[in-house]
Amino acid sequence: MDIKAYIENGVIESYVLGMAEAQEAAELQQLSRQYPEIRKAIDAFEASLEQTALSAAVPPPAYVKQQLFTILADEFAGEQGKVVAMARPNAWGRYVAAASVILLVASAALNIYFYQQFRSTSTAYQALLLEKSSLLADNQNTQTKVLDLYQSMQMMSDPNFIKVSMSGIKGKENSLATIFWDNKSKDVYLLPNKLPEAAADKQYQLWAIVDGKPVDAGVIGACAGLCKMKNIPKATLFAITLENKGGSPTPHLDQMYVAGKVG
Amino acid sequence: MEVVKKYDEPELVLLLKQRSQHVFSYLYDNYAGALLTIIRNIVSDEELANDVLQEVFVKVWKQIESYDSTKGRLFTWMLNIARNASIDTIRSKGYQNSQQNRELTEDVYIAGGTSEMRIDQIGLRKVVHSLKQEYKVLVELSYFQGYTQDEIAKMLGIPLGTVKTRLRTALIQLREIIKP
Repeated sequence: MDIKAYIENGVIESYVLGMAEAQEAAELQQLSRQYPEIRKAIDAFEASLEQTALSAAVPPPAYVKQQLFTILADEFAGEQGKVVAMARPNAWGRYVAAASVILLVASAALNIYFYQQFRSTSTAYQALLLEKSSLLADNQNTQTKVLDLYQSMQMMSDPNFIKVSMSGIKGKENSLATIFWDNKSKDVYLLPNKLPEAAADKQYQLWAIVDGKPVDAGVIGACAGLCKMKNIPKATLFAITLENKGGSPTPHLDQMYVAGKVG
Repeated sequence: MEVVKKYDEPELVLLLKQRSQHVFSYLYDNYAGALLTIIRNIVSDEELANDVLQEVFVKVWKQIESYDSTKGRLFTWMLNIARNASIDTIRSKGYQNSQQNRELTEDVYIAGGTSEMRIDQIGLRKVVHSLKQEYKVLVELSYFQGYTQDEIAKMLGIPLGTVKTRLRTALIQLREIIKP
């Protein structure tokens, strides 16, 4: 057989390019095993064809490879002999990890939001608590005052009480105070109707005149309605003077504001 | 473009048969561009050619078991898969319909004198276009359009024997042109 002529008749190129008929191809394969020259000629054409193709390569867009590897993702063996099953948890793991990170960030953001909400609500609640307790205290004060006033009213209208009006003396005509004196217990109650405001270091003091002598009937503090004074068994006259704070053993008569006779 | 080989061919084939993703990725990186050129020699639509390229690599992956190294090189095998897939694509009904709309614009394009810049004229097709007209048309119809020699003989109105002889001569010339 003329090997050289066979090589030069174009069947090799036809075979390599996939254009040979089945019979031609089978014959060539058979001959190539027999004759190394034919094998060499096939190899040479394949190599130069590959080289031509490689030198004219057009880089495909990146998405083609990405799509391809997504399509085949389940078919790859794990690298370095890892079991195939490893591939799936890894792919899943990535999604789960991504989801976890998103959830964590969202959760942290919500935590901050809710904490701020909690802080402002808590502050508002504290303010309300304070307001409530002060309202409660106000309410108690008012109730006490109402009760005191009610008791005062009871005393004023009680026939057992002796009422002593103390009007302003000369120069203090605008001043006025009233004594309610319990005829049975001899307790003395005072209603300071109209007295000028006392200076910080001064205090009004009530005196009972007993047998022509002034007896201390107590200093006047802050009181709602009637102020309960000392028990005075016997008196002909009551008077109020302005004394130093805490009261004096004897009245400064030049500082008298009001006075009134009993009966 | 010189390709620096990390794997020799028997190694590459063995690892592909063992389903190595890494080696498949290497194969793609080294040969996708060359195969895309041959695909675009046949399928001129760029997006469609990319689809064919993807299809070709899926086939390479699925059919690697049937590759027989005694019959030829791995690239030759892949090149034939690419050529067959491309011809199947241009023979499909959908493609034929889409081409009817394209003809006109393509003619205008060529008339503009820029046809030599066209991407489907590079690589092997460019080599074929350097052949004499009577050879060029035969390779064009048989290799790039997939017609049988019988069909070509009828199309061109020349005897089958003449088609056969001319085609063989054309391929010998082609070999001489691409010889390093």
